Amino acid sequence: MPENLYNWFDQRLGLGALKEMAEHKQVPNHKLSHWYYWGGLSLFFFSVMCASGVLLLMYYTPGEGAYESVRNITTHVKFGWLIRSIHSWSANLMIFSAFVHMFSTFFMKAYRAPREFLWWSGIGLLSLGMIFGFSGYLLPMDELAYFATKVGLAIPSTMPVVGPIISDLARGGSEIGAITVSRFFALHVAILPAVFIPLLGFHLYLVQKHGMSIPPSEQAKPESKRKTIPFFPNFALKDLAVWLIALNVLALLACIFPWDLGPAADSLKSAPQDIHPEWYFMSSFQILKAFGNWFPGALGEFLGLGVFNLGVFLWALVPFFDPDTRGGAWARRVTWYGYFVVLVVIVTTIWAYLALPSGT
Amino acid sequence: MNYPFLDIPFFGSGWMIGINAIIHVLISHFAVGGGIFLVFAEAKALREGRRDWFPRLKALSKFFLVLTGVFGAMGGVGIWFSIGLANPEGTSVLIHNFVFGWAIEWVFFLVELSLAAAYYYTWNRVSDKDHLRLGYAYAIASIGTLVIINGILTFKLTPGEWLAHAGSGQEPMYFFQAFFNPGYWPALGVRVLGCLALAGVWSLLVFSRIDGETEGAVKTSMVRWATKWFLPGFFLMPVFAFWFYSTIPLDHRALLELGIASIGQGLFTHVTRMALIFILSMATISAVVYLIAWYAPRNFGFGNALLVMFLAAMAVGSGESLREYLRKPFIVNGYIYSNGTRVKEVAKRNEEGYLKNSMWVVKGFGNDANALSKYEVGKRMFQGQCMTCHTVDGYRSMRKLLKGRDNKSIASVLEVLHEYKPDSPYRKYMPPLVGRPEEIDALRFYLNHMVNGDPVAAKAP
Repeated sequence: MPENLYNWFDQRLGLGALKEMAEHKQVPNHKLSHWYYWGGLSLFFFSVMCASGVLLLMYYTPGEGAYESVRNITTHVKFGWLIRSIHSWSANLMIFSAFVHMFSTFFMKAYRAPREFLWWSGIGLLSLGMIFGFSGYLLPMDELAYFATKVGLAIPSTMPVVGPIISDLARGGSEIGAITVSRFFALHVAILPAVFIPLLGFHLYLVQKHGMSIPPSEQAKPESKRKTIPFFPNFALKDLAVWLIALNVLALLACIFPWDLGPAADSLKSAPQDIHPEWYFMSSFQILKAFGNWFPGALGEFLGLGVFNLGVFLWALVPFFDPDTRGGAWARRVTWYGYFVVLVVIVTTIWAYLALPSGT
Repeated sequence: MNYPFLDIPFFGSGWMIGINAIIHVLISHFAVGGGIFLVFAEAKALREGRRDWFPRLKALSKFFLVLTGVFGAMGGVGIWFSIGLANPEGTSVLIHNFVFGWAIEWVFFLVELSLAAAYYYTWNRVSDKDHLRLGYAYAIASIGTLVIINGILTFKLTPGEWLAHAGSGQEPMYFFQAFFNPGYWPALGVRVLGCLALAGVWSLLVFSRIDGETEGAVKTSMVRWATKWFLPGFFLMPVFAFWFYSTIPLDHRALLELGIASIGQGLFTHVTRMALIFILSMATISAVVYLIAWYAPRNFGFGNALLVMFLAAMAVGSGESLREYLRKPFIVNGYIYSNGTRVKEVAKRNEEGYLKNSMWVVKGFGNDANALSKYEVGKRMFQGQCMTCHTVDGYRSMRKLLKGRDNKSIASVLEVLHEYKPDSPYRKYMPPLVGRPEEIDALRFYLNHMVNGDPVAAKAP
């Protein structure tokens, strides 16, 4: 009977091809293999975020009633606090895992041909993920969300010509209010998913197509010395175990450090001293601030944005500088550029936190 | 209280005990489960002619000896040291009741330590049969320590019949009623299952070091055998945990339910949070072990073993803190509150004053409670009655909890805590505030200064 059932589905869906692919796909097994889990982890946190986000949708109302509805979720809806905390924590952990994934693939030289589109789609996914975070941050409309968004939206407005248009478009006016929440909500639950999910599908399709890349240290070995394990079931089951552990970490964080809800946003009040964006924006926040301090006026803003965007642009272009396994001087230069970027991100993030007014 | 106050800024004294206890429980339960594991493994290897297991088992027994004999034993002393400092009144109640219990445990403990050393040093030096005998003797001695300490731990939540004789001066006469209290058997079951699983966790850590390339067969057999030690817990833990739950007094179970209903308010619901973490980590650890150890034992590395250890630490930490939180607001249920005030002394302290009965405080000021300024009286009240659980700025921060309350509002919180009416929401997790009205007012004065920076109080000496 089970065999008949399988055949019934196989004839209609072509399960055999899928099974064959799963059985033949191999995952390289070497001392850097543990870095392979971070992409899967990002995917796992994204799935948790989707599921918890759908649950939050049942009770959340954008617009005027936003703050009240989040308060209701956190204080009255049974386990609402847990779902909300899980949603926010998985968002943060997803961005963290995606960063680790990006830097590990960078140093393992996984952007080289034929994987350029994996690299670009990955950068796209991380950027969209950060916009997800930024748009979600405002939705509770508490004091911190309000002022942090205000600061955040002031950044693009410094760009010449298009800047103010972007800011006004996002705000839905000159001030942050109920309309802004509705726009951010639409962005958060409709527009971004509509862009993100197809791009994610493309990224995963390419992973399937090209398989896992192997780092240069493995490529140096003769093929007979390289080891692999079958993707299914060996690697998939290990992936599942890692996901289960990630679920535990998520529960631990959500239970011990549940997400706070501050007082309702009030535009008439003065901003709290320590307003700052989420940790993953701190580095860029500090770079812009530093250039603003060094070069007062519009020049500083322009230079800050320019340098930052140039850095990101070069980051996206590394497959052209270091295209294949031939290596050479450019390959080394690109690696050094990677070290430099990691250093800048770490130093500016720490600097940003140290530069916050005391009492934070 | 009649002892000096202990101030651990930011973390609070509870975490000082907690961190020590989590590490100690992870190791001490291994001391019990690992003893059984080693001798069963040795017996299996002998029976099945697996001589290739012996060097690995010897390595495990060396690790076991050092870990349990040094870190386990030191951690146990550390717990004594920290509970004695953080909560001398509560520790005193336990010692007065269980001094003979602890004496028996001490004997088991000495036997256990000696046998662990003997077991390790006699590998290949005595006959197989004698070595096995040493192993069994160790296992029995280590179970003995668990059997004793379990009675004392469970007594605190479910003192049972003993409570009827509490305060009579005859308490030690009711040793067995206190020891074999309603929670004893289910908790023993939970702990034994935990010991067996932890034997699996720690031995996986040791076996993960075996090279899967060159010694694939032995690694496969040993790693797989270690994973089987999770099975008893996987099947039976829910049964014993539910049995244990059924022995918890109703008003303490209500604390869990209150947590679920009001958890959003966020402040006093640790017990529910811990229950969630405990259930999740218990439910997933066996699955993780199956997926990364049993399924592909040759690839099971040290990092994987650390992941399993992390889950075990989560389960142990949340389980033990769940047990502790469930007992709120008592140290010994119905007898002594978590801040060291005995239930029967509440009326007396309300009448005579809290500080008058806190000899250590007054001694420092020439035996005269009246010599203390209002600010000092408030501070001493805080140190004596609040600081067991709260800190000023860190864990359960007073400043944060009272934020936004003015002088009057702080006074009304203190009044609710002092009156301790049957319907008071605080009754479920906080002890009553005791003392004369002027002492409570001094506490209000001190807290108001802490929270709102009252300029009058700031100038006080």
